[in-house]
Amino acid sequence: MAKESFTDNKRVRELIKLMNENGLSEIELVEDKASIRIKRELTGPVSAVAAAVPHSAAAPEKSAQSDEGLLTIKSPMVGTFYAAANPESEPYAKVGALVDKKSVVCIIEAMKVFNEIHAEVSGVITKILVSNGQAVEFNQPLFQVKPE
Amino acid sequence: MFSRILIANRGEIALRIIRACRELDVEVVAVYSEADRDAAYLKLADEAICIGLGPAGESYLNIPRIISAAEVADVQAIHPGYGFLSENAHFADVCRSCKIEFIGPSVESMKLLGSKLASKELARKCNVPLTPGSDGPVKNEKQAVEVAQKIGYPVIIKASAGGGGRGMRVAHNEISLKSSLKAAQSEAEAAFKDGTVFIEKYHDEPRHVEVQILGDKHGHVIHLFERDCSVQRRHQKIIEESPCPVIDDEIRRELCESAVRLAKEAGYYSAATVEFIMDKHKHFYFLEVNTRIQVEHPVTEMVTGEDLIQWQLRIASGEKLTLRQEDVHHSGAAIECRINAEDPDRNFAPSPGLLEEFIPPGGPGVRLDTHAYQGYRIGPNYDSMIGKLIVHRATRDAAIATMRRALEEFRAGPVKTTIPLHRQIMNDKDFQQARVDTGWLERRRK
Repeated sequence: MAKESFTDNKRVRELIKLMNENGLSEIELVEDKASIRIKRELTGPVSAVAAAVPHSAAAPEKSAQSDEGLLTIKSPMVGTFYAAANPESEPYAKVGALVDKKSVVCIIEAMKVFNEIHAEVSGVITKILVSNGQAVEFNQPLFQVKPE
Repeated sequence: MFSRILIANRGEIALRIIRACRELDVEVVAVYSEADRDAAYLKLADEAICIGLGPAGESYLNIPRIISAAEVADVQAIHPGYGFLSENAHFADVCRSCKIEFIGPSVESMKLLGSKLASKELARKCNVPLTPGSDGPVKNEKQAVEVAQKIGYPVIIKASAGGGGRGMRVAHNEISLKSSLKAAQSEAEAAFKDGTVFIEKYHDEPRHVEVQILGDKHGHVIHLFERDCSVQRRHQKIIEESPCPVIDDEIRRELCESAVRLAKEAGYYSAATVEFIMDKHKHFYFLEVNTRIQVEHPVTEMVTGEDLIQWQLRIASGEKLTLRQEDVHHSGAAIECRINAEDPDRNFAPSPGLLEEFIPPGGPGVRLDTHAYQGYRIGPNYDSMIGKLIVHRATRDAAIATMRRALEEFRAGPVKTTIPLHRQIMNDKDFQQARVDTGWLERRRK
């Protein structure tokens, strides 16, 4: 699919090379509704890679798998999305993880305050729609959940 | 100059600010509520961030969300527009603590001039004429009666924390004074969480005349002449014009210079409007200061040729206001009609809905500031103003003729708008001869 070729390793490696050669700290490539964003951490060369994400807050794109019956966990605030409590920890919600209403699925940092975001639904995480360190807006889809 | 700013507002003023930023090469970030998701003007911003649901408290009035958006978008400054948080000193203070420039005055001068009582004290100190009154809060009925006897009826009771025409009662004698006092105090407590009231002489057939001020952070303050905003409905302006058609240059000079004195004394910078009441003898009395850019700023822009929003951006970024008072001239006459989605036949009930037809006027002397377009859906969440139609011609008569012509061309529907009302006013002899006062429109419609 178009989405897969957009984020193939060759392209990502090219972008990283571009960043390192030119001393860039951040690069974002956008095409239609998909985007790749690579950000250099404050120390060391580029290593983290952001996955391609649909960047519109409209209805999620149709993928090969049917989206019917899937729920979306949306951001209740404006801020920066963090998948884990801190860089050393495991992400709160990986694909395949079982969550219930009270499960913490991520952190959204707003005005220097780290807010734990709860799932509010029960089910299995099928997709993570944003990347670590990404700015998110109100109602931005964060996770796709297959309800149980 | 800033490289990137955020607009904490919506609609026509957000679009106005986007336009100013574009011309100054400043990147602009817009915020929007879910209700404004499809608004076309958002596409003109470099970035648009959804900050919450439709209700203003969840979005345009939500300080944490706006500040978060400013931080993730990495902006240097926020322009608050008018309304919403534009005169909220706490918001200006939060911006300051987050090292984001608030495009407006300092917190201190906003607090000082934002208080009706404190600003009156300042006016007295600067020899700016004041309406006789209680000169401070009215503590009890006995004091109220004494003050009213001294200054003479009719008197008006006002809420110290009030605005927008709310929390005001007129009393023509002692009996109505006593009952109005109690009512005004409870209304004020309910609406503004502050029951403090004061009393002033009530002026018969007053005109509303205001002075546009600009000041920079280096102490330089100038005026850009006056606007007459006497055509009002329920204390809301619906038509504004410049120059004031009934004053001569001497009164104009005194009026404008007194506004500058006041602003300077308050250490004011950015844009402000000093409002006055003018009685039928052409005496003017200080009313209040609006410490923000106003809806009707285009009227002044047309007669002076200055871009007030661009000046706000420059001033906020620390640039000098290079306009000397002698450089500011007014030329011709400008009139603005506020186009609201309201039904004049149903007591101006808001008329939201889809703008199936929208054919804006154009041609010489016509300026239209609007975020609306054909296919735009007017929602119920915010105020009903969908645009401002401004004309500028060499004389007032020519401006009226152009406004009449432009209103005839203007097609907007099927929602109800105030366009037909404005057409009637342009054809009205009283308006044409500038024989109006702030009560004129409501009397005329009875």
